[in-house]
Amino acid sequence: MTATDTTAAATAGTEPVLRLEDLGVTFSSETGDVPAVRGVSLHVRPGETLALVGESGSGKSTVALASIGLLPDNARASGRALLGSTDLVTDVVTASERDLAALRGRAVSMVFQEPATALDPLTRIGAQIAEVVRNHRQIPAKEAGVLAVDLLRRVGIPDPERRARAFPFELSGGQRQRVVIAMAIANDPELLIADEPTTALDVTVQAEILDLLRRLAVESGTGVLLVTHNMGVVADFADRVAVMLQGRIVETGPVEDVLLRPEHEYTRRLLAAVPRLAVAGSPAVPGASDAAARPGAGSGEEAGQASGQASGQESGEGSGAVAAEVPRPRYGTRARSANPARDSGTDGERVVDLRDVSVVYGRRTGAVRALDGVSLHVRPGETVGLVGESGSGKSTAARVALGLIRPTAGTVTLFGSDLRRTRARARRSLRAGIGVVLQDPVASLDARMTVQECVAEPLRVHRRGMSAKDRQEHVAELLERVRLPRAYAQRAPRELSGGQRQRVSLARALALAPRLLVADEPTSALDVSVQEAVLEVISELQEELGFACLFVSHDLAVVQHFAERVVVMRAGRIEEQGGTMDTLLHPGTDYTRRLLAAVPVPDPVRQRQRRTARQAAAAGTGPAAGTAAGTGATA
Amino acid sequence: MSTFLYLIRRVLQALAVILIVTVATFCLLHALPGGPARGILGPQATVQQIAQFNHEQSLDRPLPVQYVAYLGRLLHGDLGTSYTLNEPVSQLIQERLPKTLVLTLLSAVVGLLLAIPLGMWQAVRRNKPVDYVITTLSFVAYSTPVYFLGLMLVLVFSHVLPWFPAQAPQGDTLAQVFADPAGLVLPVVAGAASVVAVFSRYMRGATLENLSEDYVRTARAGGSRRGAILRRHVFRNSLTPVVAMLGYYVPVLFGGALVVEQLFNYPGMGLLFWTAAQSSDYPVLLGCVLVISVATVVGTLAADVVQRFIDPRVKEGHA
Repeated sequence: MTATDTTAAATAGTEPVLRLEDLGVTFSSETGDVPAVRGVSLHVRPGETLALVGESGSGKSTVALASIGLLPDNARASGRALLGSTDLVTDVVTASERDLAALRGRAVSMVFQEPATALDPLTRIGAQIAEVVRNHRQIPAKEAGVLAVDLLRRVGIPDPERRARAFPFELSGGQRQRVVIAMAIANDPELLIADEPTTALDVTVQAEILDLLRRLAVESGTGVLLVTHNMGVVADFADRVAVMLQGRIVETGPVEDVLLRPEHEYTRRLLAAVPRLAVAGSPAVPGASDAAARPGAGSGEEAGQASGQASGQESGEGSGAVAAEVPRPRYGTRARSANPARDSGTDGERVVDLRDVSVVYGRRTGAVRALDGVSLHVRPGETVGLVGESGSGKSTAARVALGLIRPTAGTVTLFGSDLRRTRARARRSLRAGIGVVLQDPVASLDARMTVQECVAEPLRVHRRGMSAKDRQEHVAELLERVRLPRAYAQRAPRELSGGQRQRVSLARALALAPRLLVADEPTSALDVSVQEAVLEVISELQEELGFACLFVSHDLAVVQHFAERVVVMRAGRIEEQGGTMDTLLHPGTDYTRRLLAAVPVPDPVRQRQRRTARQAAAAGTGPAAGTAAGTGATA
Repeated sequence: MSTFLYLIRRVLQALAVILIVTVATFCLLHALPGGPARGILGPQATVQQIAQFNHEQSLDRPLPVQYVAYLGRLLHGDLGTSYTLNEPVSQLIQERLPKTLVLTLLSAVVGLLLAIPLGMWQAVRRNKPVDYVITTLSFVAYSTPVYFLGLMLVLVFSHVLPWFPAQAPQGDTLAQVFADPAGLVLPVVAGAASVVAVFSRYMRGATLENLSEDYVRTARAGGSRRGAILRRHVFRNSLTPVVAMLGYYVPVLFGGALVVEQLFNYPGMGLLFWTAAQSSDYPVLLGCVLVISVATVVGTLAADVVQRFIDPRVKEGHA
């Protein structure tokens, strides 16, 4: 334990509910033992939240699982993991499965990342909550059922009596996560472990879930061990932070210290790689923090910009000093600010042009409008960001642009040809002008092909005349372009990391020198540092090769730094579109404003203000107030 | 979609399937060399006699005409008359089908009652000795021909150890069959062996898959014990794919009955089919195929309905 630990919060002095002492975890595999966690010591006190942050593979989830005794069978733990505050302390490392079962759900409980699969699909949610209650309390089933309904009410599920009889598939992702939380708090645990509890959720839902967790922790004085990779979530929720790198803790301290004045070099790099959302009307505390996080950041770029008119429209947000931080172009050297000449020209060349496109699935009463009157276009060399929450239709729109989905109504023009009027053969050759990079780096490459074969596939299809030797040479050049060694051509995709695989996908997408690159969440599955590298490669190649880019993402901060124009989608419609800076700094619709307000920024001081403003706005305007209000926001 | 509409659609689909099966069987039977006349009238029969038989049975008319005529009679519940037994096929089937149903259902039930717990046990003890032993036995049971397995059963449990009779219960009524339960043991065991082998494998796989699901981890994090998780959650979730398979297994069961009935001299439909096949008794063969295809279609339909009952997602089209 470091010295900074003792300064934690007002709860200092009370006994910790979790104390890890020199915890180590080793996985045994066919190729030998792999140490995942080494010498980790930390503690969580009642009522405080300790965030465990790090990139994938850092061992943060393993620490969480070790703390509740849920390590997989091939893992061995060493050291001590002491659970419980006063009378009864159990060492999870040595405890029997029987003793652990008695602790889980009562002294310690856990909320998981994936709400879609965390619940038994065949059991009603009320019964699943009641099961946890009855695991630790000898009460009749009926009584447990009543308690389950109470718990559903506490986690903000509307109409809990009826919803208790619902099956998980009848709930949205956010509601399912609320049910998992209800199970976790069913027996008032001393410690709540939350492993990426909001990673699978949309930002607005994420904000609600974080509000809920914060409220519950404050209400019952539960200690929280929060595992996350999202620095915004850390800033929003944590009291203290422990940064993990390769199985060790490299830095621990209060959240302000770690996020604003990081000491360890790795923490600094990690924070520097986080794309930051710039928003108009953010109260004037910034600058200093950013400069600290990203040493060497340009000075002149920080030009303050008067935006009084903009904030005048905004009812809830920042009533105080108004200074818009103008985000600097992060990826590549090209100026990303909207080019007015490009923007104003209504005609001129368009790489892809969707006009009044609708996509309808099903018929009559069962019909679902995936897209509804969507018009958007991409000009040569330009990057257009397509943003929106899950189900907003952004991926569908991208697929329509690719010609993979035939629109029910409207026209799609690709490189000047109307897709409906072209024959199948011509359409194929049009498609050769588009490169695609998809989200999942594992699934988008054929595991049975070498990198060479993956990248060469488009050449085989569209450049039949090319000799094997030329093809090989071309692939080698492409790999160099995306900054991978030529020798990787002979490797299998599984031998590469996620970021490397995405670069292979990019090389494949660029094999035919496309005029348009469609990138659907290309970096969502990657760590921030890797994301930065991949986006830089795309950006530089775009400058060099001049392709246009349709960039689909749920991450507003990334889009803000990467795209010149942005299209905001909601429920199959375009909510608004325009130059990125204009649209995201001075949003014209409530929806975009809510979306922006829900994004947590990795600065605890500013995030606290943003949260208060968001909650005030929600309380003032909508019925959502019930869940957001009274959350101990003034913490 | 409402369950009622769903059922109507499924029944219409089933009728189409049965129609296609009858067409296929009809064509295949008539494509076979030989024909019923020679078998029935004997090797002494003259060409005229054979021609006359074929004319009486309308076997000399074009196939489509024959088929339409057959279909027309079928709509009136007339399956034709057996050439060799001189009895209406519908009556033959009425007598024999219940006995075959008893045999196959008993085999299926006994097999499943063993297979499901065995499969779960294997999954829980994965890669432990128990798992290996049961896996090996499953493969042995599955790859042994029913005929051979039946003979071995008779040899061991009837001749060496005189525990059970080597012959299945005789008699035409179900009452007579149930009067001799000991006689049913060996046929049922022979029929159940492959069910145990196949479905314990399914159950093992499904259970293993479910044990690695996130919801199991959630339940453990809530303090549920292993046994309770298996009982309350894993069992039901693993059962759904197994139930789905069950419907498709109906024809295999009937196929097994064919051999078992012959072996144990059990006068059910299998034996009827067997003898009819040897004398090209078209109406009987067609009738049996029709019954088996109806049973298969009903079996899959029943499996789907049961699945809708177990898994609420199926109903809503989420799974």
